[in-house]
Amino acid sequence: MRQLPELRHSLLWGPAVALALGACSQQATSVVTAPASPAAPMAATPAPAGPAFEIPVEYYTLPNGLRVVLSPDHTAPTATVAAYYAVGFRTEPRNRTGFAHLFEHLMFQGSQNLGKAEFIQLIQKNGGALNGSTRFDFTNYFEVVPSNKLETILWAEADRMRGLAINQGNLTNQQGVVKSEVRVNVLNQPYGGFPWLDMPQKANKNWNNAHNFYGDLKDLDAANLADTKAFFKTYYAPNNAVLAVVGDFEPAEAKAWVEKYYGNIPSATPPPKPDLTEPRQEQEQRFSKDDKLASKPALAFAYHMPERNTPEYYALIMLDQILLQGNDSRLYQALVQKRGYSDGVSGGINSDLGNQFNYNGPMLWMGSIIYDPSVQADSVVSVLDQEISRLAKTGIDQATLDLAMVKIRSAFYDQLSGSDNFGRADLLAAFALFDNDPARINRIEDEFRKVTPELMQKTIREYLRPGNRTIITVNPLAKS
Amino acid sequence: MNKLIIGLLGAALVATTVDAQAQKPKAKSKIPARPAAAATPAAPKESPPEGSAPRDFALPAKEEFTLDNSLKARLVPYGQVPKVTMMVAIQAGNVHEAANEVAVADLLAKLLQEGTASRSATQLAEQVARMGGTLSISAGLDQTTLWASCLSEYAPQLAALMADVVLHPALPASELPRLKTDLKRQMNLARSYPGTQARQKYSAAIYGSHPYGRPLPTDAQLDALTLEQVQSFYKNQFGGQRTSVYVAGRFDAPALRQAIGSAWKDFPQGPAPRIEIAKPLTKGDVLTLDRPSAPQSTIVVGLPAVDPSNPDFIRLRVMNSLLGGSFGSRITRNIREDKGYTYSPYSYVETHYRTGNWTENADVTTADTYNSLREIMSEVERLQKTPPTAEELQGIQNYEGGMFVLRNSTPGGIIGQLNTLDLHGLPETYLTEQVRNINAVTPQQVSETARKYMRPEAMTIVVVGDKKQIDPQLKKFQAERKKPL
Repeated sequence: MRQLPELRHSLLWGPAVALALGACSQQATSVVTAPASPAAPMAATPAPAGPAFEIPVEYYTLPNGLRVVLSPDHTAPTATVAAYYAVGFRTEPRNRTGFAHLFEHLMFQGSQNLGKAEFIQLIQKNGGALNGSTRFDFTNYFEVVPSNKLETILWAEADRMRGLAINQGNLTNQQGVVKSEVRVNVLNQPYGGFPWLDMPQKANKNWNNAHNFYGDLKDLDAANLADTKAFFKTYYAPNNAVLAVVGDFEPAEAKAWVEKYYGNIPSATPPPKPDLTEPRQEQEQRFSKDDKLASKPALAFAYHMPERNTPEYYALIMLDQILLQGNDSRLYQALVQKRGYSDGVSGGINSDLGNQFNYNGPMLWMGSIIYDPSVQADSVVSVLDQEISRLAKTGIDQATLDLAMVKIRSAFYDQLSGSDNFGRADLLAAFALFDNDPARINRIEDEFRKVTPELMQKTIREYLRPGNRTIITVNPLAKS
Repeated sequence: MNKLIIGLLGAALVATTVDAQAQKPKAKSKIPARPAAAATPAAPKESPPEGSAPRDFALPAKEEFTLDNSLKARLVPYGQVPKVTMMVAIQAGNVHEAANEVAVADLLAKLLQEGTASRSATQLAEQVARMGGTLSISAGLDQTTLWASCLSEYAPQLAALMADVVLHPALPASELPRLKTDLKRQMNLARSYPGTQARQKYSAAIYGSHPYGRPLPTDAQLDALTLEQVQSFYKNQFGGQRTSVYVAGRFDAPALRQAIGSAWKDFPQGPAPRIEIAKPLTKGDVLTLDRPSAPQSTIVVGLPAVDPSNPDFIRLRVMNSLLGGSFGSRITRNIREDKGYTYSPYSYVETHYRTGNWTENADVTTADTYNSLREIMSEVERLQKTPPTAEELQGIQNYEGGMFVLRNSTPGGIIGQLNTLDLHGLPETYLTEQVRNINAVTPQQVSETARKYMRPEAMTIVVVGDKKQIDPQLKKFQAERKKPL
């Protein structure tokens, strides 16, 4: 590939590029959508559905409230540990935008038995890799190590669940690092923050869902040690967390280690539940954003999603497949293949920050496109309207549903595999954290099979109506 | 491919290792229950549990065959998920373009997605989707690659479809204006990113007029491309001798072998593999690009190095990992975790056919441009003067060994490794003995390698940022450069 930047994606941290988990091949987006014309028959008759694929799931709760998910997978001699805390950027303090993410950085700055940088060194010298990330409804920490080092990692992750030991120097240092992160991912890039950071702020009305969660630089500067103590105490208790272990291990052994290292971490008063509700949107909203670093106009659209886990939610995931995912999708075919407005259209549900499963509150279905000045924003919007109303008018037949289903299944398998097993750990942890039911991982396909053409129609009418959407256009101010 | 990471690093990762390392015996202390959020660490510290003996890791077995037209196929059964990943690599890329047809490989890659003699572009997209599949085609510097994946049961059909795309492309003239417009937009966007700007300047400086050093194609160059040029590039550069088909995942091997054999049998033998080897140069230049009022300086600093066919390569990689190529590396600890100048510093060895280069890359606070360059150089010099301790090196060797396991534990990763062998003409032992070779590197060799390949005075330095603020800093840096820092 020519070295083209990935729009809307953060800079990869170098060494990971080499791994890239084989992903040069597969775009994160799943495959996609619907035939506009009858497709040529396949050369061969399709085989029956692929081999049954069941994920082992063992789930239990320690007396201190820590929820634990174990899922053995002996494909490669690696083990993955993921600690998920039920706190994300929706729940950070009002005068401290960006704090949930800043705090995530602080979790690497020292605990009782591991000084600054020692956690990272411990993982690395044991042949492992690690990362952490902050999302709408959780903050996660994960490591992948050779499976013979699982106990070492469980011990280390417990050490910081037990408490942090950081000083003003560490805090100041990470404030600098996080400000650099915001600069590199947002401020010094064309289309910085578009649309992933901009759209929630415009489409949502409730501050929790609608503030700048990367953080205003002045808020990041204002954070102090007292804030970090209070934040840890409120959110970082075992009863507000899930620990997922996936990979090459023996469950009995893993259970004993979890008991040994996590069993006596004290629980805390559960944190307050924030009100995340959003009012039903009645009127379309449009916004324009000047971008002095961008040389081409762009447009993003977003619709409020149905509530998670309702029948309409599953229907909308299927609509995303039909409309937006992959080169066969209605929008790709209409905007790219047929009209040549752009070389691609991207987006999805919780796109850029996760997937359709790992969140727990109001969410947007979003898409975006960068095009030439010769194209009018209104032309893009009218294609969007045409494709949605075509679906509404002509209905969705079983063949279209089947196509969406096969794409969902295939993308789901991708998520469940990978040498780092991160995708599997992420799903299990999210289902434990939000649904108290990680075994859902084996039933999720059935939920999509229940979706009927009628339900699709109902979902289009209520959720894909113009009054339920927000549009942001980018006004490019840089010279081509 | 990647989700935006609002997090510690900005990328996902993972790893594993091979050798148990010598650690101090661990204290068997009981973990005292402590209140959450301890303000200060309490002594004495506990040591981490050591873990057990490493489990065996063997590279997955593969099956290989060659067709009469010299096309090579490699099949690797792997994993439990009912999916299969395939890649067709054709040694025809930007390096094969003449000076008057820059980006013709990119245009051809785009045209290959526009259908075949028997499938329109839309039908192609739909048929792939019905297999639960994806297909993406791109031109690189040395190769054009087709990556695809699908549900296992459709493996033979996908293999046949990929062959059809390469053997019978429609190359429709009607789509040329649209695809050129797309390419122009993509290049235009790419040129607006500071990271691309810096890398482009750096590559131009060290590779000069060789295709690796070419700037991104201009609108004029793209407008000038003709369908005839695309057709003749296809005819003159594509063929069985330059093509490999890789498959990894779960599949019915006999059916897939048969599908590949019959789908590709009419592919012409085509030209022999040939890549014009670049002779990179470095004069120690400092190059800047003005990005007025940019809040950061985007730094690329580096010089020519070696590629995997060179016996020094593994040493260079271990040295790189210790110096700047891992999260726990010296430069990262220094300019990120100690000084807080930057979020994502990293170094890596970029490899091409029979040549390569090393760079350290970082986006740093504008005011710390001088400081960052100085710290980078001082870490290089420190490593040249003093070998790392055996313990520090062992940690890096474990890390690299762990990464090797990870790289070889996904279908896409396995395919990438095999393609590396083929592209660079490396023996199997490059993979089978890699971990042993990583672990054989000594602390003295790390320093020797740093002295041999890292020459601070000869490094090309590129800084993209606010010239007003960076020029005085660079002046100061240059004034001190020949002296020991």
